Amino acid sequence: MRRSNAQWFALPAVGLLGLFLLYPFLDVIRFSTWDWSGLSDPRPIGLENYATIWRDPDFWGSLRITLIFGVMTLIPFVILSVLLALALDGQPYERGVKALLFLPGLVTLGGATVAWYTLFSPEYGALASILPVPRWDQSQVWALILIMLFTIWRHLGYGVLVVSARLKAIPRALLEAAAVDGATASQAFRFITLPLLRPALTFLVVIGTVLSLQSYTAVFLLTRGGPFGGTEVLGYFLYKTGFESSRLGYAAALTVVILILTLSFALAQARLLRGNDDRENA
Amino acid sequence: MNALRHAFVFVVAFLVALPFIWMAYAAFIPPELIFSGNILGQFGFSLENFAVLSQGGFWEGFWGRLLYSVLLTGGVTLLQLLTAFLAAYAIREGAKVLPLFLIMMAIPVELLLVPLYGLLQNLRLLDSIWALILPFAASPFIVYLMFQGMRTVPEELLEAARLDGADHRVLLSQILFPLLRPQLIAAGVLAFAAHWNLVLYPRIVAGSDDLKTVQTWITDLQRQNPADWGPLSAAALAATLPLVIIYLIYERRIVETFEEGLKG
Repeated sequence: MRRSNAQWFALPAVGLLGLFLLYPFLDVIRFSTWDWSGLSDPRPIGLENYATIWRDPDFWGSLRITLIFGVMTLIPFVILSVLLALALDGQPYERGVKALLFLPGLVTLGGATVAWYTLFSPEYGALASILPVPRWDQSQVWALILIMLFTIWRHLGYGVLVVSARLKAIPRALLEAAAVDGATASQAFRFITLPLLRPALTFLVVIGTVLSLQSYTAVFLLTRGGPFGGTEVLGYFLYKTGFESSRLGYAAALTVVILILTLSFALAQARLLRGNDDRENA
Repeated sequence: MNALRHAFVFVVAFLVALPFIWMAYAAFIPPELIFSGNILGQFGFSLENFAVLSQGGFWEGFWGRLLYSVLLTGGVTLLQLLTAFLAAYAIREGAKVLPLFLIMMAIPVELLLVPLYGLLQNLRLLDSIWALILPFAASPFIVYLMFQGMRTVPEELLEAARLDGADHRVLLSQILFPLLRPQLIAAGVLAFAAHWNLVLYPRIVAGSDDLKTVQTWITDLQRQNPADWGPLSAAALAATLPLVIIYLIYERRIVETFEEGLKG
């Protein structure tokens, strides 16, 4: 009797999230069929927004930049996470360093970008006064590298936690048995640790892809899409279209496209990485 | 081999810490030094940058925005903890809504700017403080963390209390609340940081001067005076320090709670 009425305690959370998360998530599809600036009344135009996206060179350019950014961020991110988790494992300073690595993800984004900006700005930056800083305000490659470094800086602690949680779950006895059988450290890593870390790596790659397809705050704060649109990732393109050019209907259609892209990338990766797993087990 | 390992960790840790060290120092650099261009060659200390922040009316200025943001984000955090605490209790008591929260955890909130903007416009909440509160009054992630914590409370304990005649209110406030205090703190810090760090969203849905958060204030200042970064650094430090201190106090609980969440 008493147990059943406890269900009502879920109502505030379910109601609020239903209205402000689930409903907008589904509603975006309806918006995407409108020609709508936010101020004027919306005009239904069917699937025209999607046709426009297909023909929009800015969209394809932005998609290309996003993919380049994703690959060049994801690879060092995953490698660094694994190396750090391994290097930290069992060290006396493990906890302290992990706490430090986790800090950038929590601190004020605006404050963090100010620190990065004043440190690395090629014109007024502190580093520029002692060594030449690449002109990331003029070169696309360096601008992307800056955003990449900032993104890795913010999320490295999380990556290390993911790998490390998995690492701790590997039974010590397994590695000891391998050592007794004469396996070297690198062999033990190659044939025992690495395969057992695979779920964590899959998780990181999938999460990392999802995040890089959607991230735009760092771009907004550091480069504003520049130089010459060189860092205009999809998320930033979406923001610009919706709220600087006031094309909300078009931006809604872009949201749907990005969601579909994210979902298919994540599914494909999960399947691909799991597929490798099956083959090795067989 | 071992030396290499220590060196690797040390170098990475140093690079990660560098922006923080710089942030702490830059706030106190005397303005003459910044404009002379000889920033790292000479050492200087001054409080002038903070004095600049205090100029102008209190509520429009930096300190007013900081106080407003602390109150706003603090309030949102309490709301989030309350709704999550109640929902986690309901789930523990048999409400079958956990899958719903897990699905909602996977929805990328950052991408929902456009439809959320439309919804807030329809509800006539745009450019009101509610636009900064209501969409964040509940979080599926915090519900999940609270439920993870509540799962560890033994059923016998609650059963015994029920036999003594405890109702929901007593169970929640006298038993579960003290037991879950560590998780509440950890989840609270994470929730606080998530709301505190919103940059684009407040700018879009509540951009008027009296609703500006400290983040928006700093990014506006950065855009207006990119070269005059003494006051900018002081503002960045003052806006970051509260969070860093809270984090350092509860760091062990936070990292542990996060790791538990990863395992589940």
